[in-house]
Amino acid sequence: MSVKIVSEVKRQPITGRAPLDTKPHLWLNAEESKILRLRLAEDMPVPAYINKHAEAKMRNHALSARKSKTEVMGLMLGEVRNWKGQEYVLVRDIVTSDLDATAVSVKFDSAGFEKLFGKLDSAGFDYVVVGWYHSHPGYGCFLSGTDVKTHTGIFVSPHQIALVIDPLNFEAAAFKIQGDAAVKVDFAIYWDEYDDPYGGLMRISKR
Amino acid sequence: MTVKIKVKSAESGSVVDMELEGHNSINEIIDSAAGYWGMTAGAYVLRRGKSLLRGTATVADLGIINGDVVELIPDPEGGLPGIAGAHGRHAGTA
Repeated sequence: MSVKIVSEVKRQPITGRAPLDTKPHLWLNAEESKILRLRLAEDMPVPAYINKHAEAKMRNHALSARKSKTEVMGLMLGEVRNWKGQEYVLVRDIVTSDLDATAVSVKFDSAGFEKLFGKLDSAGFDYVVVGWYHSHPGYGCFLSGTDVKTHTGIFVSPHQIALVIDPLNFEAAAFKIQGDAAVKVDFAIYWDEYDDPYGGLMRISKR
Repeated sequence: MTVKIKVKSAESGSVVDMELEGHNSINEIIDSAAGYWGMTAGAYVLRRGKSLLRGTATVADLGIINGDVVELIPDPEGGLPGIAGAHGRHAGTA
């Protein structure tokens, strides 16, 4: 007998407004930040919102390989949402593992798969892989031909994004694929009330 | 004997219920799930907990049993020609 699929539970995007507490990535230039702030003020979502802790993990990961000038990479975990007919993703966390990296390439080291899968199991929420990140130490943020092939071969859902970080030039950019080409897309950093240790609590002044 | 498992797509979060026989291979499961979701089978592997599953090993070989949940994830090693790892080579583009 061949393999038989008997039913499917499809996960639909969660309907919800984009996060309100947002700001541009600190490595965008002034002009990019200004334009993004205007877009964020509208009631329409940008394609991706990255939790500030997840963003810091990715940035620090890239910065950790500054000296060696080697690439880093990982998977972005989150959820797909929809607001006013526009799909967007929330990147809630990232996972990575041992890497086999050079200055111009990176892949997961097969010895690190167990660690990677363990981190997926410990994510703490029912994640969707909403994209991937990698670094270009010193050569700017773009998707190479191979990056485009990787993205179109493995990250096929229209919501999935590729974040590229250049830790030497302090740049970051997010991309999607449209047709055969990489297109830069807006993304913002968000945080929520739980990130503020004193958020929502009554302030008690010392006597 | 039929084995009933769930396969989750890591990239959409959707889950299918699948019926298998002991002789079915991991590749057949991947082909079936990837085909159902319109993905290229060669770019994905299955994960059961911390174990990566792929190839011709069978359901019986791997001790897959009723109620197991496996996840269809991007192949961390790439899988498709021209894709080295879930990232890939930049040679010549840097």
